[in-house]
Amino acid sequence: MNEKIKLSKPYLLSADDLTIDDINNIFVKTHFFMDNHKTGVKYDDLKSTIVSLAFFEDSTRTKLSFELAAKRLSADCFSFQAKTSSLSKGESVLDTLKTIEAMGVGIFIIRHNCSGVPVFLQGNTNGMIINAGDGQHEHPTQALLDAFTLHKHFGDLKGKKVCIIGDILHSRVARSNMTLLNTLGVDVSICSPGTLLPYDMNAWNVGIIDTVDEAVEWADVLLVLRLQRERMESGLLPSIREFSNYYSITIEHLRRKPELMLMHPGPVNYGIELDYSISKLPNVLIETQVTHGVFVRMALLSLLSGYAN
Amino acid sequence: MINILFKQIRAVNPAENLDKIVNLWIKEGNIIHCSDKPVDVENDTQIIDGSDLIAAPGFCDMHVHLREPGYEYKENIVSGTAAAVNGGFTAVVCMPNTEPPIDNVPVVEFIRNQAAHLPVSVYIAGALTQKREGKHISCMYELSDSGVLMFTDDGNCVTDSDVMRRIFEYSSGRDLLISQHCEEHSLTNSFAMNEGIHSAKLGLKGYPSVAEEIILSRDIMLSGYFNNRRYHASHISTGHSVDLIRNAKAQGLRVSCEVTPHHFCLTEDYLSGYDTNYKMNPPLRTKKDVDALLTGLSDGTIDCIATDHAPHALHEKNIEFEKASCGIIGLETSFGLSMTFLVHKGILSIHQLIEKMSCNPRKILGLRDISMKEGSCAEITIFAPDKEWTVDKTKFKSRSDNTPFDGWHLKGKPEYVINGNYFIKSEL
Repeated sequence: MNEKIKLSKPYLLSADDLTIDDINNIFVKTHFFMDNHKTGVKYDDLKSTIVSLAFFEDSTRTKLSFELAAKRLSADCFSFQAKTSSLSKGESVLDTLKTIEAMGVGIFIIRHNCSGVPVFLQGNTNGMIINAGDGQHEHPTQALLDAFTLHKHFGDLKGKKVCIIGDILHSRVARSNMTLLNTLGVDVSICSPGTLLPYDMNAWNVGIIDTVDEAVEWADVLLVLRLQRERMESGLLPSIREFSNYYSITIEHLRRKPELMLMHPGPVNYGIELDYSISKLPNVLIETQVTHGVFVRMALLSLLSGYAN
Repeated sequence: MINILFKQIRAVNPAENLDKIVNLWIKEGNIIHCSDKPVDVENDTQIIDGSDLIAAPGFCDMHVHLREPGYEYKENIVSGTAAAVNGGFTAVVCMPNTEPPIDNVPVVEFIRNQAAHLPVSVYIAGALTQKREGKHISCMYELSDSGVLMFTDDGNCVTDSDVMRRIFEYSSGRDLLISQHCEEHSLTNSFAMNEGIHSAKLGLKGYPSVAEEIILSRDIMLSGYFNNRRYHASHISTGHSVDLIRNAKAQGLRVSCEVTPHHFCLTEDYLSGYDTNYKMNPPLRTKKDVDALLTGLSDGTIDCIATDHAPHALHEKNIEFEKASCGIIGLETSFGLSMTFLVHKGILSIHQLIEKMSCNPRKILGLRDISMKEGSCAEITIFAPDKEWTVDKTKFKSRSDNTPFDGWHLKGKPEYVINGNYFIKSEL
C-alpha cells in the first residue's frame, strides 16, 4: 500500500496553512475527481466520519458545495444554521461546538461572521476545523477553487498576473486569495478606492494599481469582488454611481483586451461591479468557479481524511 | 500586633535618598529601627533574613478596576485588594467605571466603607462627567471633598473639546488632577486591535495610534491654555504619545503619564492566534512603539507603571475575538514583569523602578511621600530582586484569571507587604 498523501496541517484555518505541495496535491486530486465524475458514484474517503456543517452565518453556495463534497465521500453529514440553534438562546459558540463534538463529530466546517472563530475553535477541540469563511479574515476554500480555475485555464500559474478589484478591506476572499496566489508565485495586484483598503498592505506581497484601466492593461486575470451596499451607508463610498463609474468592469474593457479572464466569487451585483452584458462572454469564469468548488472541496476533504478519527 | 525584624536588608527609598543595608524592625505598625547598627529586639520578635531582599516604600498602582459596585462577578474590593497585596502593593486607585459609576458621593462613601479595614489603601478616582457620558461635568467639588483624588471617565474618553474645556476651567479653582483615557472614539468604533499589518492580515478592525495621539495632543494644549492644569494621561501606548509628553514636560507643563506592563512587554504580534487575553484597550502596539515606551521609561518621560488591572469573567473572554471584553488583570504580575523587562534588561535602575511604582504615583496624586525613617508609620513593600519564579494563575487572589502571562518565567518577586499593622506574605 502506498502511504496516503496528507496535507501538511491537520486542519484548514487560513491559506497560510497550505504549502505549494499541498496546493498541487489538492489540484491533482481535484482533477482526478473531475475526470472520473459520474452521477451517483461515491468514494469512501470519509466513510464512518461525521462531518458537521456549522454555519453561524448565512451561506448558499459554500454550504451546498461542502455538503455535496462530503456526501460524495460517504460522510455522515449534518448541518445547522445559527438561527435554528441554541445560539439564539445565548449559548456561546464554544459551547455549541462542544455539544456537537459530544455527538461524535470529527470534522467541523465552520462559517462565522467574526474573524478568527475557526482559529479559536481549533484551539479548543480535538476535532478538525475547516474554515468556510470567517468574518473579514479568510475563506481559504474559495481561494483554492479560484486558483484551481486559473490553473485549469493557464496551467502553471507562476508569473501570471492577477488583479483583485473592489472592497479589499472587508473581503475574506481577497485575503485568502492574496496569500494563496503569493504561495503559487502569481504576481498579484489590487485596485480599490482608499477607503476600502486596509491601512497597511504589507502583510502580503501585492502591488497597488490606482485605476481599472491600468488594471485591465496589466492583468491576465481580474478577480472582481462583490460590493456590499452597507459600505455606502457607512460612509466609505460617496455613491454607488461613482463607485460603478470608476471601478466596475464593462464590456469595453473586455473588448479592448479579449484574452483577459474574469472571475468573481459571487453572488454578483450586476450593474455595480460588473456589467450584466459581459456575463455570457467566454472570458467570464464565474459558473466554472462554482462547478470546480465541489471537486476542490472533495479533494481537500479527501486529503485531510487521513487525519480524521 | 506585628513585631518583625528584617536582618541585613537593603532599604531603598529614593524620596529620602536612602539606599543602605539595615536592620529593619517594625513593631505595631511603626518603624522602630532602620539603620546599620545592631538592635536588641524582643523575645517574640519574628526575625527574617533580609540578605536577598529589598525594602521599598509601598507600591501604589494608580490604575485599577476593582469592579465594585456592580460587577462583583469579575472582582470586588476584597478580592481586588487581596490581589494587590499578593502583587506587592500597599495602595491602589480604583477607577470609576462601576455600576453605578463613581460620579456621586454615596458611591464614594460605599467604597470607602468597603475598603475601610483592608491591608491596602484604596484611593478613589471619580468620573469627570456624569454617568461617564462625556456630556455634563460631574460634581467635582463634592467628590473632591469626599476624598476623590483624581478624575477620569476611564474606559471612555471625553472627546468633546468643549466639555474638556469646561473640565479644565471648573477644576482650576481647586487645582484638581484631571486624567484621560485618550481615545478618539470616532476613529476606534468596534475596534479589536492595533491598526496595521496584523489587523489587515487578521481581518480585525483597527484602532489607529493617532486615535490616542489626537486626544493626548488636544488635552496637552488645553491644559496649557487653561493656565497649566494638572493632567495625567492613562496607559499611553504609542511612540508618538511618548514624544508628546516629553515635549509637554520640556515646556514646563504639569503633565504626567503612566504605562502598563503589558504595553511595554508585549506587541501586537501576539494576536495572531486570536487569543483574547491579548485584546486590550488601548491595544498592544508595534515593536517600534514598545521601544519608544522603554526609552520614555528610561529618560523619565513616563512617570509611573500602572496595571490597568481589568478583571473579566471567562464568559466575557473565552468567546469570539471581536466580541470579547478588553483588558487583563495585572496586579499580581506587574512587579515581576517590570523587574524582568526593565531592571534586569538595564532599562531602569532599582531606584527608578521604585520611583515609578511608589514615589511618582503618590506625587501625582498629591499624597505624602512614604518615609522609612525611624518613628514613621510602616508602609513598605519587600521584594526579592533576583528571585526567579513562574507565574501560576491558580495562586492569584483576583476573582478573575484573564492573563496572558500564566507560565511566564520572571526574575524579581514581591515577598511581603507591611501596611500599618498588616504584615502579609505574598503567596505567588
